Amino acid sequence: MRVNDEHRGQMAAMSMPALIFTVGMIAFPFIYTIWMSFQLYSSTGQITGSGIGNYQRMVGDDEFWNGIWITFYLYFLSLALQLVLGTGLAMLLFRAKRLPGIVRSLFISPFMMPPVVAGMMWLVILDPSLGAANWILTSLGLPASAWLASPVWVVPTLAMIDTWQWTPYVALIVLGGLQSLPPSVYEAAEIDGASRRAVFWRITLPLLLPTLVTAMVLRSVDLLRFFDLIYITTQGGPSNHSMTLNIYGFRTGFEFFRLGYASALMVTLSVIVLGAVIALNRLRAAVEW
Amino acid sequence: MNMKPMKLACLTTALVTTLAMGATAQEFDWKAHSGETVTFLANSNPLGQLLIDHAGEFKELTGIDLVVDGYQEQQMRQRLMTVMNARSDEVDVFMTLPSREGMQFAAAGWYADIAPYLKDNVAADYDPGGLSPALMEAATFDGKVTGVPLNIEGPLLYYRTDIFAECGLEAPSSLEGLPEVAAKLKDCTDATPFASRGLAAATPYTFAGFLHNMGGQYIVDGKSAMCSDESKSALTLYSDLLKEYGPPGVINYSFQQLTALFRAGRAAMSFQSSNEFGPIMDGGDRMNDTGIIPLPPGPGGSHPTVIGWSLAISAHSGNPDAAWYFLQWASSPEMQAKFALAGIAPPRAAVAESDEYKAWLSESPVRQQWQEALTVLADTGTSEIGYPIISNPESRQYIGQAVGDLLLGTVSVDEACATADAALNELIARD
Repeated sequence: MRVNDEHRGQMAAMSMPALIFTVGMIAFPFIYTIWMSFQLYSSTGQITGSGIGNYQRMVGDDEFWNGIWITFYLYFLSLALQLVLGTGLAMLLFRAKRLPGIVRSLFISPFMMPPVVAGMMWLVILDPSLGAANWILTSLGLPASAWLASPVWVVPTLAMIDTWQWTPYVALIVLGGLQSLPPSVYEAAEIDGASRRAVFWRITLPLLLPTLVTAMVLRSVDLLRFFDLIYITTQGGPSNHSMTLNIYGFRTGFEFFRLGYASALMVTLSVIVLGAVIALNRLRAAVEW
Repeated sequence: MNMKPMKLACLTTALVTTLAMGATAQEFDWKAHSGETVTFLANSNPLGQLLIDHAGEFKELTGIDLVVDGYQEQQMRQRLMTVMNARSDEVDVFMTLPSREGMQFAAAGWYADIAPYLKDNVAADYDPGGLSPALMEAATFDGKVTGVPLNIEGPLLYYRTDIFAECGLEAPSSLEGLPEVAAKLKDCTDATPFASRGLAAATPYTFAGFLHNMGGQYIVDGKSAMCSDESKSALTLYSDLLKEYGPPGVINYSFQQLTALFRAGRAAMSFQSSNEFGPIMDGGDRMNDTGIIPLPPGPGGSHPTVIGWSLAISAHSGNPDAAWYFLQWASSPEMQAKFALAGIAPPRAAVAESDEYKAWLSESPVRQQWQEALTVLADTGTSEIGYPIISNPESRQYIGQAVGDLLLGTVSVDEACATADAALNELIARD
């Protein structure tokens, strides 16, 4: 018994630095943000308690609801594109086992690029007047696009850039899943004479579901907090058509100095992200095999 | 410059002159803080970059170590806000735009008052009275001098003299005449006839000149006046010019896109910052085919926009005395003469009149036009870009939003101005 107590003491002591780090770097800022969300910050930094005033204001704020809509529109569009294309890319990489290392490296290079660099690069490419994208379109006899300056196309364009950057990441996760699938199942399918399409839909995809849900969890957290690319390229424009909740909260807090309301927006976003992660984790448990 | 009431201007001028007289009597030791450290929060714009490039000279002169913390403009403000809210002494000196955030930062108590330094602690050749009185006034809030000016800038109309000559056109002479000139350019050239800012938060910088020259004001009798006849005319003129004659995607345009477009020879007229003169002329392609004028006058006269970056000492600085040495070095006649030769318009009249600067200007007609236009801005300009309230930065978003909605064609001018007025009146009431 004494040995066990001693062991527990040692374990507690050894985990203490991690615990202190977690409390200091995660719990404290989050609790502080929650506290701030119940305060009214004036433009000059004066703080007064406002109860649930910031949350009440949020309910009647059109920009908040616009932010929710844009956040989820971008989230579902990007996630769907990345899962479909990422799975396809993983299948290609899985089959092309003799693919040279340099080609594999090129496949995964976009997500190694800092989002700010990717944003600047795409900003130049998609410039409606001077960019390469419209030059290519018009050279092919197709109409030029306003891309990020179009209220209709701005979100699909952002989803396209994010998909270009993060599809290889999803592909790597799915590739890991593919490599861990039991060969015996495929051997049995081959003996039974199953077609390749049937093998994919009835064996590969169901067995890959836990891996796909893991990829969904990882991308969901990033996509719901989508920030840097939008900030670099559109800052929420044109005319709020790419103003996600995160961008709206950031501008409210750091450009307009309304920290109390911005905190309420960010607490709400955190709850949304947490809810999505919990839901997806339950889904993952349901599809485990 | 009509920045504030004349009485305040006279008081400020008198204050600076008095300070200058008191200061020159003092002995000044540039090495008094040798071995100490000053942290400088810099905006990585051409001006901030010049300060950083010359930092070695500051170290050589004073023996003070300069630690530079450089960011893009908005990121710099975020960093500053974090530091100031924590009342941290991490930042000693920072760059600031009094026309934008001056009232807000001053009310929040972020600026140290540098009036005592100007009075008692300047080198004999510093000449505080030589700093633009108007810009010193713009940096003075409730009697506190919050910074020293580093430059003078404002939006100017850059136009292609070769295209205008080919099309048989003269430079526009009135604001209302701009659409006619742009229409003729559209028929005559492939270049974009008229370009200016369209990005919501950046647009008021260029739109303000249209508003004031049309005779409009942001606030009348304590209420937002975006729906006055003059303001609606300005909104219509500005948005129609960009919609009909602007580049595709202009709604996302800020200074970077405007500079790239004009430098590439793809715009016949571009209304953009005087600070972009250097980047536009970079490479030399536009040196011989560009003309520069202030925004033409409108029915309300000529009230071009003029502002300047300042250098301020943090109210929480642990070493304000050494920090003052950096301010003084950066705003000294000697350093401002060097900055002027790099295309940063000097806020000191003496520097603008120096033989070396005049020789630099005389090397090219376009440089002379640039300086002449800036002189007009300095003499007649106003720094009222957003609403003259503490929440000035937020007010700019709503002004830009009105222009943006008109550019997209989703609302009428009456709807755009009414939406803006509602949001802006709420801001005015809050402040």
